[in-house]
Formats: sequence, C-alpha cells, structure tokens
Amino acid sequence: MNRMYSNKLHILIFILPALLLFCAILIAPIGASAYFSLFDWNGFGEKTYIGFSNYKELFTSDAIGFLKALRNSLLLAALSVCLQLPLALALALALGKKIKGERLFLSVYFMPVLISTVVIGQLWLKIYNPTYGVLNVFLRAIGLESWAKIWLGDKATALGAVLVPTLWQYVGYHMLLLYAGVKSVPPELREAAMLDGASDAQVNRYIVLPYIKPIIKISVIFAVTGSLKSFDMIYVLTNGGPLHATEVPSTLMINMLFLRNRYGMGSTIAILLIILCFLFALIISAIFKEED
Amino acid sequence: MKKIIALALVLSMVFALVGCTAGESKKEEDGKTVLTMWCIATESDANRPAYEKAIAEFEKAHPDITIQWEAFENESYKTKIKAAMSDPETLPDIFFTWSGAFLGDFANAGNVYPLDEAYKPFADKLPEVMLSNATYNGKHYAVPLTYNIVGLFANMDLLAQVGWDHVPETYEDLTACCDALLAANIIPFGCAGKENWCVTEYLEPIIEKTIGYEAMTQIMLGKQTWNDPGIQSAVDTFQDMIKKGYFDPAGAALGNDEVKANFLAGQTAFYQNGTWNCGEVNDASFKSAVALFPVMDSSKATYGQVIGGPSDSLAVAASSKNAEIAAQAAFELGQSICHYAYLIGSGLPAWTPDYDTSEVKPLVNDAAAIVAASDGMVLFGDTIMSADPANTYLSYVAQVYGCEIDGAGFIAGLAKDLQ
Amino acid sequence: MRNNSKSAQVAIYIGLILWLLVNLFPIYWMFTFSLKSNAEIFGENVIGLPKEWLWSNYASALGTGKMGLYFLNSAIVAVSTIAITLSVALMGTFALTRLIWKQKKTLNKFFMLGLTIPIHASIVPVYVTLSRLHMLNTRWALIIPYSAFSLSMAILVCTGFMNEIPRDLDEAACIDGCSVWGIFFRIIVPLMKPAVATVGIYTFLQCWNELMFANIFISKTALKTLPVGVQALSGQYTTEWGPIGAALVLATFPTLFIYMFLSKKIQESFIAGAIKG
Repeated sequence: MNRMYSNKLHILIFILPALLLFCAILIAPIGASAYFSLFDWNGFGEKTYIGFSNYKELFTSDAIGFLKALRNSLLLAALSVCLQLPLALALALALGKKIKGERLFLSVYFMPVLISTVVIGQLWLKIYNPTYGVLNVFLRAIGLESWAKIWLGDKATALGAVLVPTLWQYVGYHMLLLYAGVKSVPPELREAAMLDGASDAQVNRYIVLPYIKPIIKISVIFAVTGSLKSFDMIYVLTNGGPLHATEVPSTLMINMLFLRNRYGMGSTIAILLIILCFLFALIISAIFKEED
Repeated sequence: MKKIIALALVLSMVFALVGCTAGESKKEEDGKTVLTMWCIATESDANRPAYEKAIAEFEKAHPDITIQWEAFENESYKTKIKAAMSDPETLPDIFFTWSGAFLGDFANAGNVYPLDEAYKPFADKLPEVMLSNATYNGKHYAVPLTYNIVGLFANMDLLAQVGWDHVPETYEDLTACCDALLAANIIPFGCAGKENWCVTEYLEPIIEKTIGYEAMTQIMLGKQTWNDPGIQSAVDTFQDMIKKGYFDPAGAALGNDEVKANFLAGQTAFYQNGTWNCGEVNDASFKSAVALFPVMDSSKATYGQVIGGPSDSLAVAASSKNAEIAAQAAFELGQSICHYAYLIGSGLPAWTPDYDTSEVKPLVNDAAAIVAASDGMVLFGDTIMSADPANTYLSYVAQVYGCEIDGAGFIAGLAKDLQ
Repeated sequence: MRNNSKSAQVAIYIGLILWLLVNLFPIYWMFTFSLKSNAEIFGENVIGLPKEWLWSNYASALGTGKMGLYFLNSAIVAVSTIAITLSVALMGTFALTRLIWKQKKTLNKFFMLGLTIPIHASIVPVYVTLSRLHMLNTRWALIIPYSAFSLSMAILVCTGFMNEIPRDLDEAACIDGCSVWGIFFRIIVPLMKPAVATVGIYTFLQCWNELMFANIFISKTALKTLPVGVQALSGQYTTEWGPIGAALVLATFPTLFIYMFLSKKIQESFIAGAIKG
C-alpha cells in the first residue's frame, strides 16, 4: 500500500485542486497586493515606484489616521477577549452541567450567528435611530431622557454603539465552541473532584478550564483575528464615521481603494492587515504554549 | 456509495445552475447590437422614470440596438466603477459618471472614449460650455444630462407661522427667522452628517457668499492657498449657526434621504441641497420656495453667485467594441434623459429645450430662473478636486460640522494637506 | 445539594434567561415592525404586537425588493460553495493525511495561513483574475472565491475527521485489490459523512454573510445575493421601516426555521468541528 500511496501522480491529482484554488484566489492576489503596495498608483493609470513610502506615510500621516483605526480594532479585539469570551465561557459552563432547558438556551444563543451580518447591522441601525429607535424610546419611557443619545452620530458613543452588536453577534459562536469543550470533560474527573469536596467553582477552575484550554486557545485566536478583519457590521452601521471615530483598517482600506483612488496605499493596508492577523495568531499560540 | 451519488447529484445541479447563467451571451444576438449601460437611477431614484422613458424611446427609434442597463445605489456604484476601471474590459459600453476630476482620472488613464466626433451633430442643441467640466486636454469625454445648483429650499407654511412670507435674503433676516422658528419649537435646518457631501451643500455657498466666486474657484483648483481669512470667517459663520441650534442634532447620524424626508414631512423649515430635489419639494404637501443663501460680504460676493454646474453625465468606455454606436447612443439618451428629468423636476436642463415646457413644475422654473440670472458659478468642491484631495477636503468639512475644528483649524489643515 | 447551591442555581437561571431575552428581543422586534405602519413603529406602538397586520410590507419586500430572488441566489451560491469546498478539501486532505510525501507537513501549514487572511484584503486582484477568466457576472464569481476562503477551515476539520479513520481499513482494501481511487471513494468518503455537515456549517457561515465581493463582482440584478439586496432595499426605503423589516425577516426566518428543526444536528456538527479542529 505504501508504494501506491507514494505514487507522485496520485499525490498530484489529489492535492492539485486545493492547491490551485488556494493559490489562485488567496496567495497570488496577496503577492500582487504586496507588489502594488510599493507603488503610487490609482488602480488604472500610470504606476510610479516609490519603495516603502506608502508604509512610511501610513504610520506617520495624521490625515489617514491608520494608527487610530488600528487602535479601534485592537480595542475591539481586547473587548472581544475580555468581555465576549468570558460571557461565552460563563454560559458554556452553566449549560455544561445538565441544566433544565439546556437545548432551548443553546439553540437560542446560537441564533444570531446564523443571521447575516448585514441584516443584524440594519436591525441595529433601527434600534439606534435617534428619533424612533427602540433604545431611545425605551430610555425616554423610563424617564432617562438625558441618557437618550444620537448613538451612531456622536463621536463619544459611536464606537461603543458599533462594538455592542459586533460582540453580541458572536457570543453564541464562542459559547458553542466552549460548550463542546465543557461537554468533553470526562464525567469521572468531575465526580472525583466533587467527592473530594470541591465546589462548583473549584471544579470549573481546576478541572474544566485546564481541560478545555486548547479550545479556549482556538476561541481567542478566532476572536482576535476576527476583530482585526471586522468589516461588514461597521460598513453597514457607520462606514467608519462620524469623523473616523469608528474607522478600522478594513474600512480605511476600502476607502483608499475605491474613494481616494489610492490603490497602492489600499494594498499597503491589506498587507499590514494580513501580517497583523498572522502575527497575533502566532503570539496567542506562543502565550498558550508558555503556560503549559 | 449513496453519498457519492448524492454528491454527484448536487454537483451536477450546481453546474447546471451556474452553466445556464454563465451561458448567456451578451454579444450580438440575431444581428442586434447590444449596448450595456450602468447608472445610478435605482428604483427609488427621482431620475428613474426619466431613464426608463428615454431608453424605451431610444430602443423604439433604433430597433437594431438593445440597451442592457443596470442601476446601482450611489455609494456602491463608486466602488463598482473603480473596480471596473482596474480592468477596462469589464466596463459597460456606456456608464454614468460625475464630470470634473472623477471622470478626469479615468480619461487621463485612457479608459474613456473621446466624444468630439459624435458631438458635432448635436452642437446646436447642447452648448459647448456645458461640456467644459468633462473636457480634458482639449477633448470632450462625457455627455451632460442635467445641470444643478445648490438651492435653499424653504417650507413657506412653517415660515408663515413665524411671520415670514418670503425666504430671508440677508443674513440678519435669516438669523432672525431661525430664532423665531426656534422660539416656535421648529427646527430650522436639517443636514445629513452621515454623508459629507451634504455638509458641503451648506458650507460651500457660505464660503462663496463670503469670498466671492472668483477667489473660491482659484482656491478649489489649487491655484490659491486655503489659508484665507474669508474662508475662516465663513466656517465660523456656519459653526455659529450650528451652535445656535439651527441644525437638527439628530442629523449627525442620518443619511441624506432621511434628512430630506424630515423636511418633506414638515419637520424642518429649510433644506439646502441640489436643485435635483425641486420636483419632490414642489410635490410636497406644503407651500415651498427655492432661493439662495444670503450674501455675507457684499464687497466680494453678490446674491446671484451660485454653487453647481453640469455634473451628472454619460461617458463611453474606450474598450467598448461598439464605441461609435455607443457614443451616438450616449448623446441621444443624454438628450432625452435631460428632457424627462426636467419635466419630473429632478434636474435643470443642460440641453436647450426644444419641446413644450409648459408642464414644467413651478419650483423647477424658479430654480431655472435663478440659474438664468446667476452672475458667477463654482462647481461642487468634491467634483472639482481629484479623488484623494476631495476626500481630504470632505473629511475636514465633516470635522467642521462636528465642531471638531474651527475656521482657523480648517484653513490651516487644508493649507497643509492640500498644497 | 448544599445550601448555597440552590441560590446559585437561581442566579444562574436568571442570568441565562436574561441573555435569552437579549437574543430574542431583536428578532421579536424585527418581526413585529415588519408588519407595522410607520405611525405604529414611530410612536403609537413601538414594541407591542402590530394592531393592524400590514402584510403589504412583505409584498413590497418581495416585489420591489426581490427578496425571493436574492434568497434563492444566496442559497444557490451557498450550496455550490459547500459542494466545491467539500470535494476539494476531501481530496486535498486525503493527500495531506494518507498519501506519503515529503513536503506534506509544510503544505498543511501553508493551507492554515488561509485561516487568518481577511477576505477583503485581495479584492481588486481577485476581481482582475475573475475578469480574465470571464467569470465576472456569473455565479462563479462568488462561488470560486468563497470556496477558496473556506478551504483552510474545511481542510482543518477534514484532517481531524480523517485522522480518526483507522489505517487498517486502507490496508484491508488494498489487499482486496482496491486502487487509490477505490480506497478514497469506497472507504474514506463514506466514512467522512459527519465532516460533510461540519464543513457545510462553517462554509455556510462564511459565505451567507459576505457583502463586499457580492457587491463588486456581480452587476446583474438576476444574480445578486441577499446581503447586497438587503443593503440596496434599505437605501430605497430609508424612511419606510415596514418593508425593510419585512426584507430582514425574509432574509432571516427561512434560515432560522431550518435551524429550529435541525438545531441538534447543526450544533453537534459545529461542535465536532471545534473538537476535531
């Protein structure tokens, strides 16, 4: 069998479709972007080679505001890890101990994941509407008139208002991942600990959490890279406004590519985004390894 | 085995589905020439009926030509057309465009077909001056459809409630009127903060009425510095109005359609925007009027100076296989879209009318009269400037509306970033 | 049961139910306002059930909004993407786990790069590639890129499942005279059944949402997908909320409906992906 499995032709035939698809649509365009990031180019006219000037400008120009956009997406990533994941973990732990209505809770919590981001964005646009939105109507109804805000139009509240639905949508996703982990903890381990007199909290802390660490790692990587990539929700809700308060690298990139005709700069942001996502995935893996 | 059969079934279904749509050929079917066209006249667009009528008429007059057209929403259209420019083969034969620098970038890259030959037979119906915004290196590149300026629309019923029977014509009168409106719990202005061009519809007339159209044109073209005390005082005037509460604060989170709807529903007294709104405002349930922003500095500007010009246009792709036919079609379509848009009130005519204009709506006529009497004009700022500076400019304008920077910050910032 | 665990239990339930409401309320509100007039949504009756059930909103969403067509388009794109991703990933994974060659570890890592690449990062080069292949304005323009971007996750999941199939089966089949193809199609593929559901779900989540590619690569109304349609409709009815609500419901409820019937299966498959991955 080993001879059959080592046949070069077979290997080629089996791997080729995947390799072709992957290289043509992912790798080659990224190569192209890396190349174009070295040019001053509007995407259709003459190109001028400018070396790494785009990269330099990106990090130094206040007018572009890349660092601010980056800060926003890092904030999203941090909140994702510090709020979204703990919430998802708490839900997963609570549901993991054979609670009544487990199925119902599980099913409902996962629902927002299945709804298109554009739909959720449009829905929250209505919820936040300054005059008729359900949020302000509710605040006025309970006498908190002064709390009613122009949520998406005010620089002070816009970022928060964008983060809430973004975080909310994927709690269910992480919850289900972590729930899977909690369920996979062998019951004997749990029972043994209980017999030793451990409380629920102690069981969770010393038995469950260490056991599901690989899944937590996956969750953290997805949460962080997902935050760096986030685009659709912000595009629908504010498109980076007001006054760039909710700008993230991907909205900035689309802006450069299609509004400012700065194709070279747009490619530069694309490349940096890829590097960042990759870097963070490596760092997170390293952190989890170190703890072992 | 069942799985494989199922998989094969799904796959073949997929291929069949994809195949039948991919198989559609757009090239000449039974000897007919097919021209593809992209525009922004979506079903909710005021211009939609004008396009529908014009295309139907054209196809009737030319049974050998079929127009295949698609309409896209304004913002996503900008994305689409620029993506298509990166591979000219994917451009349609005819496409909607704004003149000025937007089209200029495409024309300079050689992606647009020059229309000088095709223009000749239409020269008596379309004054050459109307083509000037789409003329680069001495060649004409687009057919203008409509002509628009920024108008100050007023709800005369609301103004009457506070004792005004005409639109205020001096700044003192305007502030007095706004104060009276506020006292009566009526919001004077609505302005969409989500779309920066809407803010320029307010700011640019104020700038023009402060420094005059000649100086403003020079600055917009980059021939003079933005560091101009007149512009600083214009920005301060605008922010003064905002701080006095003349603008609906909710506007910051809204788009233009929502702000316009508020005005049409009688929630704000004024709405300053392009004259393409004349038809809709005319048909609103209240008595309406269109006027201009008052003069701020009478030593430099006059009331009759306006912001605007012909901008909405049709252009032909240089890559078109039927470029000559498409050029001819662009002029014929342009002429009749202009005709119907004028009658609907979604724009003033760039073409000289050669039809019965007695049906034109009163408010559209008023706007046309303002243009006829105008004594100076500056094209929309974001149309004059090319994409990158235009967006820098728009982002400064947004900061002004958000009161992030004052007049001094505005001129200093633009002078630095747009040398 | 100890004493404190009873009150803890109650606290947990309160928490769970609160979060349940946070998830259900937007969906409930969306449904009710899809059946109301502006007058009701804007004041008279903000969160109650509609007083007058305005089904005409649905007529607008289906008529002018063409939500039915867009839903079908999205479904076709999703099913095709899943089918292609799955076939390509199964073959690739077979080569990466079963077949014997030197660089397969490296190549596996190479494929995993795809997990972190943002889909928007390569939009223009992909556009040009698709145009050269004459795929723009066909469903392929979405199916191919979506498949490519789902591939990494699919290979990750399939690797987990395929490693669990004992190699003895291959040996036995080989001795019985099976070719590589025979082993792949008769032994491996049928045993990968659970992976089909899992890859299907992850791929679905990836391509059902996508807005930017769908907006730029497709110009024909007849081929537009749901996110683009919803976005366009909200531009058309900025001020009339009813039809937008109806469109949102039409875009959402069929999926949720299917999910309700298959929720257990879907969750199990999703979970399998997490464990195997």
